[in-house]
Amino acid sequence: MRAELELMASREGFSLRCRASYGPGVHLVSGAIGSGKTTMALAMAGLVPFDGDLRFEGVESKVMSLQFPEYHVTAASVDDEVRSWGLDPGEVLPRAGLIGRNAVDPFKLSRGQLKRLNLACVFALDPDLLILDEPFSSLDCRAKAKVCQAIGSRDGRITMLFSHERAMLPRVTTLSQISDAELEPLGAVPGSIGRWAGAPPYLRRALEHGARPRNIAMDDVEEALCATRG
Amino acid sequence: MRDPRLRILSTILLSAGAFISPVGAVAALLWWALFTPRLKAVPHPRMLSGVVLMISATAIVSELTGGLGLLYLLRMIPILLIAAWAFSDRQESELLDVSVWMMGKRTGFDIGLMAEMGLQGLRMINQDIVQVRQAMEIKGMKPSVRNLVPLAANIVINQLRRTEETAKLLTVRGYSAGGEIEPTFLTERRDLLLAVLASAVPILSLLAHW
Repeated sequence: MRAELELMASREGFSLRCRASYGPGVHLVSGAIGSGKTTMALAMAGLVPFDGDLRFEGVESKVMSLQFPEYHVTAASVDDEVRSWGLDPGEVLPRAGLIGRNAVDPFKLSRGQLKRLNLACVFALDPDLLILDEPFSSLDCRAKAKVCQAIGSRDGRITMLFSHERAMLPRVTTLSQISDAELEPLGAVPGSIGRWAGAPPYLRRALEHGARPRNIAMDDVEEALCATRG
Repeated sequence: MRDPRLRILSTILLSAGAFISPVGAVAALLWWALFTPRLKAVPHPRMLSGVVLMISATAIVSELTGGLGLLYLLRMIPILLIAAWAFSDRQESELLDVSVWMMGKRTGFDIGLMAEMGLQGLRMINQDIVQVRQAMEIKGMKPSVRNLVPLAANIVINQLRRTEETAKLLTVRGYSAGGEIEPTFLTERRDLLLAVLASAVPILSLLAHW
């Protein structure tokens, strides 16, 4: 299973050059706000025009979760919203922490609840390629931890994670960063961690203290710091 | 046209001239063809062609049922093209500037602010429609009457939420009525000439009508 892209994606007068190849695993694409993460995510989902090549091998299903969950809403009740994804509300709502909210208008939910609902739906679909645009936005720490867990449980599939999250990140397979309208694949973790300019503060501080974490999740960084201190 | 006051005045004069008589419509169309970047000034060609299509359908039905549909079409086309040109030429906050210049820092500011917020809302709605289309594509949905209501609700609710946020922001910043602004305008000789020519269109149109 592989996604290969060599393209120039354009959106709202902005163009982004991407050249990368992603196999099964979790691939974090980071970059400052407005750097082009959403443009790349939309291009991979085939939702914005691009020049160049986007090839998928062995990818039979792909789903994207948009940054703002309101835009996903196409139904007038939570139940119907889940069904609009072709899913069973009985299975999805407990995962979203929304038991008993079946008849509620999705717009009556808070943005965090709506985000949980949307993420529960896309994870339940379990596509070969899952594109997550800022999946941690609007979520509290507990919900973020659950998202990290769900991302980590997607064995043998491609998960593209576009995020500028600074506090809680899952274990990833590769790192890429976007700057100056160009994607820069940094390579596999842990080798690429030291080259990651957008590393969150907890990781940066650990690196400054000589820690060499195996991955970018908080647990890995704490473990590496403990090892450094002996 | 750099001066928004003259652009708005020209837009009103040309639109009125085009609507009064077919001669005025032809004159307004000529003005548009000679003095604007023509189709390059159309900000959303698909949207404009959709509106033209709707007006054409109305005109055809009117013509077939004994009305003056084709004359109506002839009048509306230049009005739409002039409106598209005026919209594409506009700069940020110029409606606020013109409104304050015309009606002062209290009423003018409030009306100008409303106009600017309205235009900003239109831009946001356009972005919302793009996002909703993408969401439907992700779900493999096709537009249908059944999902038209929730989708329209989606756009309206998003807009209402943004409006509420803007209202709160204005309150927090101490806005109650009116505001301090000193509008400045840059008037080129060409702007004046085009405005004078635009003012000839309704006169010509009225003469032809009588």
